Amino acid sequence: MEFSFSSSTQKIVNSTAFTTLESGDALMIGIACLLVYLAIWKKFEPLLLLPMGFGCLLANVPMSMMASTDTGGLLNFFYQGIKHEVLPPIIFMGVGALTDFGPLLANPTVLLLGAAAQIGVYMTLIGAVFLGFNMQEASAIGIIGGADGPTSIFLASKLAPHLLAPIAVAAYSYMSLVPLIQPPIMRLLTTKEERKIKMEQLKPISQTVKIIFPVAVTIVCCLMLPGVTPLLGMFMLGNMFRESGVTARLHETAETHLINIVTIFLALAVGSSMTAESFLRLETLKIIALGLLAFAFATAGGVIFGRIMCKVSGGKVNPLIGSAGVSAVPMAARVSQKVGSEEDSSNFLLMHAMGPNVAGVIGSAVAAGVFLSLFGDVGSSIDTHAALAPVIGNPEAGIQALATVVEVIKQ
Amino acid sequence: MEASVSAAVNVSMLAMSVIFTVLIILIFTIKALVKLIPYEAPPAPPARKVSASSPPEQDDQVAAITASLAAHIGKRPDEFRIVNIQSR
Repeated sequence: MEFSFSSSTQKIVNSTAFTTLESGDALMIGIACLLVYLAIWKKFEPLLLLPMGFGCLLANVPMSMMASTDTGGLLNFFYQGIKHEVLPPIIFMGVGALTDFGPLLANPTVLLLGAAAQIGVYMTLIGAVFLGFNMQEASAIGIIGGADGPTSIFLASKLAPHLLAPIAVAAYSYMSLVPLIQPPIMRLLTTKEERKIKMEQLKPISQTVKIIFPVAVTIVCCLMLPGVTPLLGMFMLGNMFRESGVTARLHETAETHLINIVTIFLALAVGSSMTAESFLRLETLKIIALGLLAFAFATAGGVIFGRIMCKVSGGKVNPLIGSAGVSAVPMAARVSQKVGSEEDSSNFLLMHAMGPNVAGVIGSAVAAGVFLSLFGDVGSSIDTHAALAPVIGNPEAGIQALATVVEVIKQ
Repeated sequence: MEASVSAAVNVSMLAMSVIFTVLIILIFTIKALVKLIPYEAPPAPPARKVSASSPPEQDDQVAAITASLAAHIGKRPDEFRIVNIQSR
């Protein structure tokens, strides 16, 4: 092969990504840097926004093969975990392992607050339809109001995969802004006297009830809304690891290492879907605006229902705990505690707010299940299984691969 | 799928009804469970000595520990006060 300095230099210059860098890519690299900045310096959900921002950065380097659509690329491989509904349910298992249902079981009526806060989902659905989105897209956008990242990603990947990136970014951005979004709405919708209400001490709950509860939820919810089984089922499995007392290692793995590893994959995969073609659209701005609307209405719905419960119970329920029904565990509960303690520093609402907070997780999962029942193809996973069947059903290939590994180890 | 605002309103009302129905079923399930399997208090652990000065920031920790402690000893949270948290 002949070597010419000038032609080789020219070849190297032509092979750099600068030659194909377009304005859209440059803008997305700027957005990626903004996400990284928000994660590190503003502490906006850093565990998610940092890898998501970096995934966006990688995906928008031309010729890098790191976008979610680049078949054979590294992040395309991670993206399969979203496409085939693997990663969000595993995150949910970790969340289940971290969740204590004790406050909810001690005062089960607060489940209604978790239901009421879902009004944000439906107000946003109506708003999205008004802005021209179709029903599937509007459902995926509306679930931002559930303030639950994995649920948003799960539903978007099923109903509107082309909107996954802006929905995920909006969901996680607003979740990090809960301490800023919620307090003004909470103060606006409650009186000073209501904010001072001290709630009765929660009753202790039998460990057996805590063990039976995940099974009961799985049976009730998954039989009624089978589409939500991957999310809710894994959530309850994680909680069984926690409460059963016989799977300490699984519990520890699910709540620490596994959820951390999967968070990296999930956030990178979402970031890799943030390409100029998918993100730099008018729809993104609409989704960002609708996301704020979703959180505001969800908070208002929870607080207003909290006031209703306050009246009905004769002043035994502090309406501030209603705002925790938006999910966003545990930040929304901490906001209830903070706003309550501003009025009376001896008022401890945190554990009371944890009830509606975990109820919000169940409520948003149920809301997702309703959307899947209405607009999704609940049986679509059968196609996935069919696609994987030749691989799963071919043990010889697996045995050959294993034999190769054994040979390598021997050498 | 064509979507209209009225269709979205109908979907919202239907979906909210389903959510409330599912969660009300869960409320009754929990109430039945709690009634059938009442709580039995475990033997009390040995008391720990708490020292007497506390940094001002730690509201969340104080709230969480106060609530847990109140549940454990069966008192209201305003009947006692945590004055210090020390990590080991």
